[in-house]
Amino acid sequence: MENQDYFDFTDGLFSVSDIFDKPEAMKGVRVVELCTRVFGPVTADLLGDFGAEVIKIELPGVGDLMRYVAPRGFFWQNMSPAFVHMNHNKYHIGIDIRKPEGGELLRRLVRMSDILVENFRPGTMDKWGVGYRELKEVNPGLIYQANSGFGQWSSQRDRPSYDATSQAMSGFSAITGFLGRAPLKTGVWIGDCTGAMFSVLGILTALYYRRKTGKGQIIDVSQGESLVRCLDWTWLYLTRYGKDRAPNGNRDMAISPSAVLRCKDGFIGVAAVNDRQFQGLCTAMNRPEMAKDERFATFSSRVGEENAEALHRILSDWAASMTMEDIEKLAEIHGFAAHRVTNARDHYHDEHLKRRGAVCDFEDPLYGNVVEYGPGPKLSASPGRMRSIAKPVGFHNDYVFRDLLGLSTEEIEELEEKKVIGRWDDRVGAKPPDDWKSSC
Amino acid sequence: MSDSKKMSWFEWSRENTGPQHASEKPEALSDLLVLDLSHESMSGLVCSSILAEMGARVIRIEPPQGDPARRFSPFGVLHQDTGLGYLAEGRNKYHITLNIEDPKGRKIFKSLAKRADIVIETFQPGFMDGLEIGYRQLKEMNERLIYAGLSTYGHFGPLASKRRPGSEISNQAYSGLIQVNGEPEGDEQSEHGVPTKVGSWYGWYAEGLFGAYGILLALNFREDSGKGQFVDVSGAECIMKFIDYNLNWFHMEGRVKERLGNFDLAVFPYTYIRCKDGYTFLAAYNDEAFATLMEIIGSPELAKDQRFSSFMNRTSRENEEALQRILEQWSTRYSVDEVIDRVQEVISTKGGRAAAVVTGKVLRPSESIQQQDWWDRGVFRKINDPSYGELTLQGPVWNMSETPPRLKWVCRPVGADNQFIYHQYLGLGGNELKRLGTEGVI
Repeated sequence: MENQDYFDFTDGLFSVSDIFDKPEAMKGVRVVELCTRVFGPVTADLLGDFGAEVIKIELPGVGDLMRYVAPRGFFWQNMSPAFVHMNHNKYHIGIDIRKPEGGELLRRLVRMSDILVENFRPGTMDKWGVGYRELKEVNPGLIYQANSGFGQWSSQRDRPSYDATSQAMSGFSAITGFLGRAPLKTGVWIGDCTGAMFSVLGILTALYYRRKTGKGQIIDVSQGESLVRCLDWTWLYLTRYGKDRAPNGNRDMAISPSAVLRCKDGFIGVAAVNDRQFQGLCTAMNRPEMAKDERFATFSSRVGEENAEALHRILSDWAASMTMEDIEKLAEIHGFAAHRVTNARDHYHDEHLKRRGAVCDFEDPLYGNVVEYGPGPKLSASPGRMRSIAKPVGFHNDYVFRDLLGLSTEEIEELEEKKVIGRWDDRVGAKPPDDWKSSC
Repeated sequence: MSDSKKMSWFEWSRENTGPQHASEKPEALSDLLVLDLSHESMSGLVCSSILAEMGARVIRIEPPQGDPARRFSPFGVLHQDTGLGYLAEGRNKYHITLNIEDPKGRKIFKSLAKRADIVIETFQPGFMDGLEIGYRQLKEMNERLIYAGLSTYGHFGPLASKRRPGSEISNQAYSGLIQVNGEPEGDEQSEHGVPTKVGSWYGWYAEGLFGAYGILLALNFREDSGKGQFVDVSGAECIMKFIDYNLNWFHMEGRVKERLGNFDLAVFPYTYIRCKDGYTFLAAYNDEAFATLMEIIGSPELAKDQRFSSFMNRTSRENEEALQRILEQWSTRYSVDEVIDRVQEVISTKGGRAAAVVTGKVLRPSESIQQQDWWDRGVFRKINDPSYGELTLQGPVWNMSETPPRLKWVCRPVGADNQFIYHQYLGLGGNELKRLGTEGVI
């Protein structure tokens, strides 16, 4: 064993074909999701990736409004790709929790659950009589994750907030892009997703604590605050040196070189974080003497403002005469960092990502073959896995109401009649594929 | 009504979850020992910061000359011996030095790892294994150990074994984030109409946060099974998880997500608009909210204009451009604050979906830091650090009722905790440490 090559060892340890033979980290953990759009659903999604049983409660009929956010209006088998991406491995049920019987169903579900995630405006659940103060009486071990734009007790708590609100107000946008150009929102919902990641970190920490003590708790996470946390040295630079960080285009201000460069056939990220890597880069450029140039010979000389600009010009000229593949090959030979700017098509055909289960091809029982990004971290003993994608509103009503909650046919019908529970409206985004026929 | 309901939700949540009582409450991870071997990378530091904020004891192991990441700083500025990037993520950690490439150093590392719960490392995959202190060797000594390896390409798969160095910029580039960020290319090549990196070290922060996510999953699994495991994190793959419908849209329709600047493929208006004195985010993408917005700008008839009358019509490229112009004709007559106030005033009279007109002033860091709320909530903190003096930096994110996070100290100089840690864990006294120092081990 000891003589086995390291990468043969790791290939075996993490082998994607063994994933379904291994246990799941979140097995037996039940999550109630009362969320719409992105911030909340992504939170529950990241738990579902590792085996938590996520029950997503939507308003009967229309459901989560994210169902109708679709790129260029494109729906696939009546489902939006944008909705699919943050709703994997979930059970979808329809309850109107604002109605008294709906609130009662929620309380019954909470009694048998470990975690609740919601992203209503602060105080909404409390107003409906199903806030943390009531639900912890039902289940003292409950971990209640409250997601919002500004926080539960912020003075701005009543203001609506979307992802880009957090990008704008945190300073994230102001330090991205090119000096003198209009600020841009980033092309992804980075505030929502970063906030969701912090929510998950809070939940998993609270779950660990609960295993030791039996105690639940409430966790309050805001999108904007999450992005502020991730702006590295911005705040120290401001408060210690009085410098208001400006956007610096495609160059890192703290490491040189670390930049995006234009090649003959596309763009590439290139970096050399130490002298050894920088010497490798100079050799790759056929300019080994540049590593001894006093402007560039040490880390601290390279990162100085003027020298960094001079170096960037030299690198840009060099890259413009190369292909992306040329540079990536040189990076492997000479030991510096380089990776091309990739897109979805590149990922779709990337052997490395497929072998790691990062690009995951699987069959959904309702929609057939799907290709999605797999679980983030790769765990050797309790790996995450992709089972299914989002479903129509209320698609799993029967499983949850009959099996978990033990309601009878008569009770279910009565609740349906009162519109306390329900399924999808006949509407693209909410309903099953046209050729779908119920098996029951 | 129960007793606690005498308070409003706002008062109750502030009183029970706010950072003001953090030090009186227990820490969730206080029984854990973490060894952070991060090297030339911020990701491991971010990862261990999260665990340290939640109460884990984190021992930062640096080479005797210090982690080169201490130099990562804007234009190279150093505060005492340390750059600002490192200073932001040195929090709550004990700092020791150890030369793990020396056989004696490895022996010391092993005896620490034997009793550790978690090891975090960011070396080139295979480096630790080559020193015989990788997961393969450590798990034989400590089957409960959770070993987290953080890198760009991960520890397995065809690219991992090629040993191409990873980096923050590689994470961003490989993930697809850069591809979808920035201004569209104009008719002529320009410096700015290009795929654009995110300004902050998002490549490293995502890698670190996902590292902590994997570790916490593994910890919960260990409580059930008694077993540790290997957590392999690729920073590029972490960001991919956040690039929404990028991949499945390609699978479903064969289309590749493009770079659109402030335009959007799926919702509009959802954009930054120019005002007299700056910019604000402005969104009103469902039909009811859009009608509200048209009322606000004084052109209610546009809600029925064929170009804008439905969700779908508003998201064609042409119509997005037209709408952006219309909005800016209005907004450039006012200051940002006037625009936001006007929106707030009108939506406060509306309910439900019609009230979903959403704003957000585009703030410079110097303006963001003036948000009083963020000081109250502990997002920004001024701390008098014993080693580095008075500093203001970002605090932990969570408000929690039972186990709130803490910011205890900012950072420590290289090797500052050698005496304390080596004595406490290994019983090494002053003379022994001196000898190891002379031999270049610590």
